[in-house]
This record gives sequence, structure tokens and C-alpha cells, in this order.
Amino acid sequence: MIGTLAQIDYLASAGRTPWHRASALGKLLLALAMLIVAVFAPGLRLLLAVHALTWSLALTSRLPGRLVAAAAGYPLLFSALFIASQWDGTWQTPVRLLLRPLTASLAAVWLVGTTPYPDLFAPLSRVLPRSAGDGLFLTYRALFALLARSERLWRALRLRGGLTGPARRRLALAGGGLGTLVVHGFERSQRLYSTMLLRGHSGRICGCRHYAEWSRADLWVALAAAVLAGLGVWLWGKP
Amino acid sequence: MSHLHIPDGLMPVWLWAGGLALALLLLARGSRAARGRSPQHIAYQGALGGLMLAAMAIPLGPFEYHLTLAGPMGVLLGGAGAFQVAFVVSAILALMGHGGLTVVGLNALVLGAGATVACRAYRAAAGRLSPAAALALGTAVGQAVAGGLWLVVVGLGMRLATGWSSRGVAPDARLGVFAGIAVPLWLLGIVAESLVAYGLGRFLGRVQPNLLPRSPEPGVAASAAGPT
Repeated sequence: MIGTLAQIDYLASAGRTPWHRASALGKLLLALAMLIVAVFAPGLRLLLAVHALTWSLALTSRLPGRLVAAAAGYPLLFSALFIASQWDGTWQTPVRLLLRPLTASLAAVWLVGTTPYPDLFAPLSRVLPRSAGDGLFLTYRALFALLARSERLWRALRLRGGLTGPARRRLALAGGGLGTLVVHGFERSQRLYSTMLLRGHSGRICGCRHYAEWSRADLWVALAAAVLAGLGVWLWGKP
Repeated sequence: MSHLHIPDGLMPVWLWAGGLALALLLLARGSRAARGRSPQHIAYQGALGGLMLAAMAIPLGPFEYHLTLAGPMGVLLGGAGAFQVAFVVSAILALMGHGGLTVVGLNALVLGAGATVACRAYRAAAGRLSPAAALALGTAVGQAVAGGLWLVVVGLGMRLATGWSSRGVAPDARLGVFAGIAVPLWLLGIVAESLVAYGLGRFLGRVQPNLLPRSPEPGVAASAAGPT
């Protein structure tokens, strides 16, 4: 999962497709619209059409097939649980219960795979309360700062026999290991705070303003939005 | 068993929409209450949020089971701080396709409830028990509450039709099978989280005891950072 996160983070910044050049705000609104249509679509045809649209977005963004497949496959286990609980003997219900989450997760992967996190979090931080908005940036950043440290920690635990013996001992030792990360996190927060003050922190992390810079690449986003709207109007009332 | 991996489009709309609205309301209230706090506290929340995110991203067995660290976060940050962290972590995970975007509010409520209860249980026990035992006890109580809420939310989601079909109501037998799988995992989660919290509390008690709250004011960093 963390490897996937790191891979998505890299691809979002390094990609060169029109989707990567388009503004974060436009893509965020399009992804939200696709999510809403997928969740509320009254008929199977519309759901299938939106699903096809998200696949076309995901494939044209040149994200690795393995990554897209992993995202698409993630909801399968829990969808299966709900399908089993709501089985009504028809084939339509399972298909609907599968397509809704698959469409939503594909749209999410397309969005995060084509948008660097500062651009993605910047509009979200403007609608969330201040501390939560700041928390988005700081938490995401802290994760990557912790990665190397936690890898070294688990390696040391393994080499020193911390991952052998009864589960009770292993879990307690893992807790001790997490304690070192908590102390590190506290010390890091002190350094980070000093850095924020040095850089003129004004009481809020606003992120960059690139998220709303429109370019010609946004025409593709507008086109996809128009297709989505057209599909919605055409297929909304159909089964 | 206290974090919803449920993807979008499966839960009834009133359930996830209500959860999201309540979570945003609590978030706004918590944010207003935290206005006087130092930015260092927000940085500390971010650091622990990264830890929580890392813990949630490491599967420990079948069914994508993983630690949540909601109990220790509640003790270290206080209920309001831990709720904010839970919301942020749930939102980042959802953006990565790990759980649905629509259930971010429910996730934050479930984890936040566990963290708040853990904080209160810890504070009640801290005077009588060692820090490690108090943290483990608080975590166990918080995890029990969060896991119970998780079961209620998922059970409700499965029980009620999502609007597609009037026949989509799960028979009790199917819910029984679900409970048969989920309850043992819930109990296992309580034990695992408590043992990890015990190790964490033992380490912090020896190395940096001031990070563990003893006074009625929870959270370290609140006192360590101080107003600036």
C-alpha cells in the first residue's frame, strides 16, 4: 500500500499527458461529478456508460496497468460481501453493486495519479476547517518522512529477533518500536514548526495556487465533463 | 475492525451523508476550539497522522486487517485532536482508493469515537495503573467501542437496501454469517491493539513520559509546545 502511494505520488508529478497538465480544480470537479453519477445513477445503462468513461480516463492517463488494476480490484472483496447480503436472484443487482464502487475507485485513481498532492489538497484545504486543511499537507508529508525510518526500524527489529517468539511479545515490541516513531514525530514537529516560522508561516498552509490555473489541457477535462453531462441527460431515465 | 473499507456506492445514502455531515460539523467545532493552539500542535498531529496512515496501510493478515492506533492517538492528542487526525487520514486513504470517499465521515466518526473513549478511559486509569497498563486499558476500551460502532454501521448498511430494489433486504441468516466472521476479528483487534499500546506506553513511560498525559489536559504537545 505504501509502495503504491509512493508510486502514485511520483506518477502524479512526472506524468506528461494532457490530464497531468490540466488544472487540479477541473479534474477534482469532474471526479466528484463521476462519483455522484455513479452513486445515484438510477439505471444500469448510465452506470455502464460512466464506468466506460472512467476506464477511458484511467487508460489515457498512462498510469501503469498494474496500478489501475489494483485500484479497480480493491473494492471487489467488500462488494462481494454486500452482493451476498443483498442477493435478490437477478443479475442486475450484483452488476450494479460492482460497477458503482469500481467506477468511483477508478475515478479516484485517475485523479490522484494525474494531480500532484499540493495541487490536489490546496482546493480541499480551502473548504475544510483550518486545522484539518493544514493536517492534510502535514500528514501526507509526514508519511513519506516516516517511511525510511520505519523501514529501518522493522529491519532492526527483525535482525534482533523482535519478530520471533509468541505474538504477545512481538506485538509489545512492535509497540515499543512505534514509540520511537512517536518520539521522532514529536521532535520533528518542533523542527517543522521552527521551519514554518522561518518561512513566514502566517497561520495557515494554503498550498500553491496552481490548482486553478487553466490551460489548453483543460479542454480535455471540459470535453469529458460534457460527455458525462450528455450521458446523464440521455440515459438518466433509462433502465 | 474499526475502519471501514467499504467502497463508494454500497452504503445507504442517508447513512453516509448523515455521517459526513456530522463529521464535518464536529470537525468545524474542533477546529474552532483548537484556534488558540500552537501550530506546533498541528505539526505534531500531522506527524502522528503519518504514523496512523502508515499503520493502516500495512495489512496484517486476511481481510486487509491492520492496526489503526486510534486508542494511542486519542491518548496522545486528546479526543478532538485525534478526531481531526482520523478525518484527515481517512480522506487521504480514500483518495488512494482505500475505502470510499463517501464513507470518510463514517470512518472519522468510528475512529474518533474510539480515540475519545480511549482518552477518557486512560485518564480515569492513569492515577492507579502504570502508563503502559493505562494506555493498554484505554486502547482496549476505545477499540471495543470503535469495533462495536463498525459492526453497527456495516450491519446497518447490509441490512438496508441501497435503493435499487425493494427486495434488497438481507435475511438475518446472512447477517449472522457476517457477525460470525466480524466478531472474532473485532476481539482479535482489541487484543492486538492493546498489546501494541502496552509496548508503546512502556517505551514512552521510560523514554519520554511527558508525552503521556497525566493531568486532565490531554496531549503533550499542547503543553510542550505552549501558546506562541
